[in-house]
Amino acid sequence: MRRNSSSTNESLNTLLENPRVWRGRNPAPVQAGLSTGYKKLDRHLPGGGWPQQSLTEILVEQYGIGELQLLMPALSSLSVDDPLAPYAEPGWIAWIAPPFQPYPPALQQWGINLSRLLIVRPKDASEILWSAEQALSSGTCAAVLLWPEKLDDQSSRRLQLAAEKGQSWAVAFRPRSARHEPSAAALRIEVQASQQGICLDVFKSRGGRPVTLHSIFSSISSS
Amino acid sequence: MPVRERETAPAPPVKTRRTNKRRAADIQQLLPLADDAPPSVSLPSQTGAAATRRLWFCVYLPNLPLESCGAGKEPLAVLEDQQGIHRVQLANTAAENAGVMPGQSANAALALIPTLQLEERSTLREQQALESLAAWLEQFSSFVSIAGNDVLLFEVAGSLRLFGGLPALRQQVSAGLEQQGFAASLAIAPTPLSATWLARGGRRACIREPTNLVPKLRSLPLSCLEWPPAISEALTGMGIRNVGDCLRLPREGFARRFGAGRLIELDRALGRLPDPRASWRAPERFCADYEMTGEQSDQELLLAICRELLEAHEQFLLVRQLGTLRINFSFFHLKAPATKLSLGCTQADRSSKRWSDLLTIRFERLALPEPVIAVRLQGGHTQALQTGSGHLPFTGRRHATQRHSMTQLAERLAARMGLQSVNGVTTVAEHRPQHAWCARNLLSAKVSDALSFVRRGLRRPLWLLPEPTLLHAEQGRPLHLGRLTLVEGPERLETGWWDDNGIARDYYTAINSRGMRLWVFRNRNVAAAWYLHGIFG
Repeated sequence: MRRNSSSTNESLNTLLENPRVWRGRNPAPVQAGLSTGYKKLDRHLPGGGWPQQSLTEILVEQYGIGELQLLMPALSSLSVDDPLAPYAEPGWIAWIAPPFQPYPPALQQWGINLSRLLIVRPKDASEILWSAEQALSSGTCAAVLLWPEKLDDQSSRRLQLAAEKGQSWAVAFRPRSARHEPSAAALRIEVQASQQGICLDVFKSRGGRPVTLHSIFSSISSS
Repeated sequence: MPVRERETAPAPPVKTRRTNKRRAADIQQLLPLADDAPPSVSLPSQTGAAATRRLWFCVYLPNLPLESCGAGKEPLAVLEDQQGIHRVQLANTAAENAGVMPGQSANAALALIPTLQLEERSTLREQQALESLAAWLEQFSSFVSIAGNDVLLFEVAGSLRLFGGLPALRQQVSAGLEQQGFAASLAIAPTPLSATWLARGGRRACIREPTNLVPKLRSLPLSCLEWPPAISEALTGMGIRNVGDCLRLPREGFARRFGAGRLIELDRALGRLPDPRASWRAPERFCADYEMTGEQSDQELLLAICRELLEAHEQFLLVRQLGTLRINFSFFHLKAPATKLSLGCTQADRSSKRWSDLLTIRFERLALPEPVIAVRLQGGHTQALQTGSGHLPFTGRRHATQRHSMTQLAERLAARMGLQSVNGVTTVAEHRPQHAWCARNLLSAKVSDALSFVRRGLRRPLWLLPEPTLLHAEQGRPLHLGRLTLVEGPERLETGWWDDNGIARDYYTAINSRGMRLWVFRNRNVAAAWYLHGIFG
């Protein structure tokens, strides 16, 4: 028996040493992410937070189930002064083509600096993408939230490149039907409401693994 | 001056009037002695003249009427209207080689060269050319003066160090003039009048010490003075051929015959009397035209022309340390009225790159009805420019110029989509939810980081609907994509009675079956109807 197990071990080892076998547990070096504010989510995202300098897609069917609440702690951390760089100013947050009016008193309650807020209302779809690209590549916006009418593969790649150039974080909100469309975003999350609270389906994560998380926060509680 | 005369003139032993000795004294006083006594301290004007050594650079443009029409190889003649007949005043070298001479009538000139271009003499055009040249000369000196129709003077004693000495400065000026197509005669002297005379005389003189002035001036012909013909004829009749002879004349007699003004001119030229000049400054507003040879509708070419004009504008502003907030472009067409394009900026700026970025964005949307024949750039009101110093490369990504670049981003976005599409927000101290915030213009000149009102209290929704929407009710319970369950509330807001938008509402937080959190309210006064006002994100 022992001889059999040792021989199986040896054959297993030789098999594993074959370069054609990909070992999925190698951690790829990944940039530190922006902490989401929710520990359960942080654990499952590569880099421990939202991917910086790239595009994140959030797919949501109904507004109001907590999709903005998911981002609020990260956005408020961007609004405060960075203690490590005393001469730095907090970056701006740009909202491009939001579906309703972002309500300033509520934003203030979440801790976002209102003097660093930019709201842009373009007239058509091409202008939405153009202004997002301008805002991302200018380097003055720390985060850009946009609600594009349609975002194809090429446009998402351009936004990704603009985010890398300007070192900003882009978040695009799309309907759930876009799940099966290809996209160049680094992180794609589908948000659904359920009885226990928010259900997040991270189905694409660059440097991490797809995971489904339940009850990150309860939609009833307002923390 | 009278005090000095008494000092240097030998005191006559016997006081006689109108004797030869007095005459000799007069003669000596007109001409300064070779070794002058050093000026005494009690003469403030003399000390002033010696302390501030000035050096005047004169540019004399004899062919200005010709050069203001533009340079070219084709024969060109400028006509002047003399007693009803058009006569040639000046002709360029190509025309002169063919035989056209000043003074000929226009018909005679055309008979010699059928393809001769004739231009009417336009003093306005010459004045504009002179002013543009004076504006160009402002880079060499802080004091530029226009003296007459064809003479430019500027003071260079203060600029010598910057330009590396007088020969280098002179070289730069003459090279620049040649490049712009002006054939000028240059001269440098301690007083403006003497510099003018020397330049008119065609002497490439460079005199730095006032003591060397008189020997050089002596040999100048009388035509350099440009005195009225009656006076020049009278002087020629007396046997006076050059300025040296003029200086030897007795002062009193000279003043009596030809007027005290001429005597004062001679004194000013020699530096005995001060000669204040009016400084000329280029007008504060920039206006430049570009006329094209034909009609153009190529967008790339028009953009390139506009960029050239913007660079000239930047140079204009750079010399004056000014910035401007607005630039107006006008595109002229043959038959249609001019198309105007106006660019605005929040912060006064002069960089042509920033303006040309804005121009490129706006130009794409501009519809030109006809081909363009000329482009004009008019700079708006100017104001003093505040420039900041640059940054060291290791101070980190976000530094103090971020606000500056945010206005640039906002300008770019507004240039494409209109000013109303881009704004910031701020809170207002108000209980009514709709009025508790207002939009803030990011592009307004005063960047106010006004403290916005911080609201404490119950949670507010992240999304606000522009107008509250009426909800359908079922058995007294509101419906919105599912039955709503009231979770928090009521929050009673009853305020705003002082204007017509008073509200009296009970606000609740509600959740529907799909998990959406909504902010609904019910009016207290009217029949209980439910409205949706906000959505919790």
